[in-house]
Amino acid sequence: MINVLLVCSAGMSTSMLVQRTLDAAKKRGVEISISAMSEAEAKKHLDGCDVILLGPQVRFLLKGITKLTEGKNIKVDIINSVSYGRLDGNDVLSQVLRMLE
Amino acid sequence: MAGNSSNFNTNLQKYVAKFTSLKGVIALKDGIVYTMPVSLIGSIFLMIRFMPFTGYDEFMAGIFGPNWAEPLNQVTGATFDILALVSVMAIAYVYAKASKAEPLSCAFLALVNFIILIPAYINDAAGTAVGGVIPKAWAGGQGMIAAIIVALVTAEIYCFCNRKGLRIKMPDGVPEGVINAFSALIPALFTMTLSFIIYIIVKAITQVTLIEWIYQVLQVPLQGLSDSFIGCILMAFLISFFWWFGIHGANLVGGIIGSITLANSLANQAVIDAGETLVAGQNALIVTDQIRNNFIAMTGSGISIGIVVGAILFAKSKQYKELGRLSLVPGLFNINEPIVFGMPIVMNTRMFWPFTLVPVMCAAISYIATAVGFMPAFGAAAVPWTTPPIISGFLLGGWRAALVQIIILALACVIYLPFFKQMDAEAFAREAAAVDEDDDDDF
Repeated sequence: MINVLLVCSAGMSTSMLVQRTLDAAKKRGVEISISAMSEAEAKKHLDGCDVILLGPQVRFLLKGITKLTEGKNIKVDIINSVSYGRLDGNDVLSQVLRMLE
Repeated sequence: MAGNSSNFNTNLQKYVAKFTSLKGVIALKDGIVYTMPVSLIGSIFLMIRFMPFTGYDEFMAGIFGPNWAEPLNQVTGATFDILALVSVMAIAYVYAKASKAEPLSCAFLALVNFIILIPAYINDAAGTAVGGVIPKAWAGGQGMIAAIIVALVTAEIYCFCNRKGLRIKMPDGVPEGVINAFSALIPALFTMTLSFIIYIIVKAITQVTLIEWIYQVLQVPLQGLSDSFIGCILMAFLISFFWWFGIHGANLVGGIIGSITLANSLANQAVIDAGETLVAGQNALIVTDQIRNNFIAMTGSGISIGIVVGAILFAKSKQYKELGRLSLVPGLFNINEPIVFGMPIVMNTRMFWPFTLVPVMCAAISYIATAVGFMPAFGAAAVPWTTPPIISGFLLGGWRAALVQIIILALACVIYLPFFKQMDAEAFAREAAAVDEDDDDDF
């Protein structure tokens, strides 16, 4: 089971990606759990994540979040802004899988 | 040129990253978030208290008796009137937590220091000082900026003591709660003594408490600045400006100016609570939290519903037909990342002007509509930022505010349309060319 945390300013726009990414995962037979949170919420829920993806509009949080996850074996990256704009769950899933390779 | 602008973007991203990772800025932004449930639920009670219908008071008094409003006032008095107390604790809490220090003791300490620094009495109608109170004027809106300062200074001293190991050491086996209580002793001694000395000095020089002094020299000018026509327009421009670089402008600008626009709303509420009518230009502030949340950022920053409507009605290209379909529902709830990144607007020189111009126009119209007295100025009653436009206007300021929103939305559609059509025509041509190529491949 892969645990993914999507982070944006209020957890609203990333939440639109959650279901689409879950659908893509089901199609491709990937076991995954995804949640979307605001930056403030997310900081309390870093433990237990495998991958944290930031919305491109909060890419300036990358450094701070990376620092918080130091030594925890959590991969952190920014969601590709084209896939984000298209709410393309399949692309996001591919990005998650690439990060875990 | 392209090189310059991408350089500028990299630098901007770097500065924004640096700025937003400052401990004080994080604590301010994340701390103010804690006031949200308090003020939103308080708003429900406030709206029931002040329905914008004539004869409403008499109607309610007829059903529930002459004191019908009193229990409602208990709730609003315990929410909006203590937002500075909530903020001072929340900001200190977040600051300490980010520094991996025990946060709850730090929050209480900030509260104590804040109360040391506010007046301990109120004047009754005859001008006599009455003790035994915590004045709600300073615990609420007028104490907001001071609350931020007291929280940050207290939390930094607390964390400093923690870092330097300045605490009373406990032997192994002592429960954690006890350790925490004792570890706050030295920072408590430092900060409370500091507050004590500051109280004496400020009182001697200015005849008032620190919180009153900060209000006069800092908060009033800041509120005045935010409440000007230029301030309102600048705020709208900056939100879009940052978004154009792909940075969450509403979050960034709101994080800084939010406490001031909130104080503006609370100042208006104080006028309403005193039984007076808000009149712009006399006793009302115009640029309130509601203007920032429910007007300038309607349908998402940039008022991008104009693009969505254009896409749904006129798109020829598959790309923008799909984008319009995808963006409509989130747009109604003021979320527009699909447009910002999907169109994209980010770093798109053609869309820069409408994307900044439309919110600036919105700020100007909202400001003028309030200034001339057409739209009411807003008090503390707030609706969540995700409330769809027109509904939000109606809830906040009756049909007049809803009408102002409708006019702005209509103008947004008109202004965006020619820009959208150019983008769409290019996308359509690209798609046609791609189809031709595919056809060629078939042969």
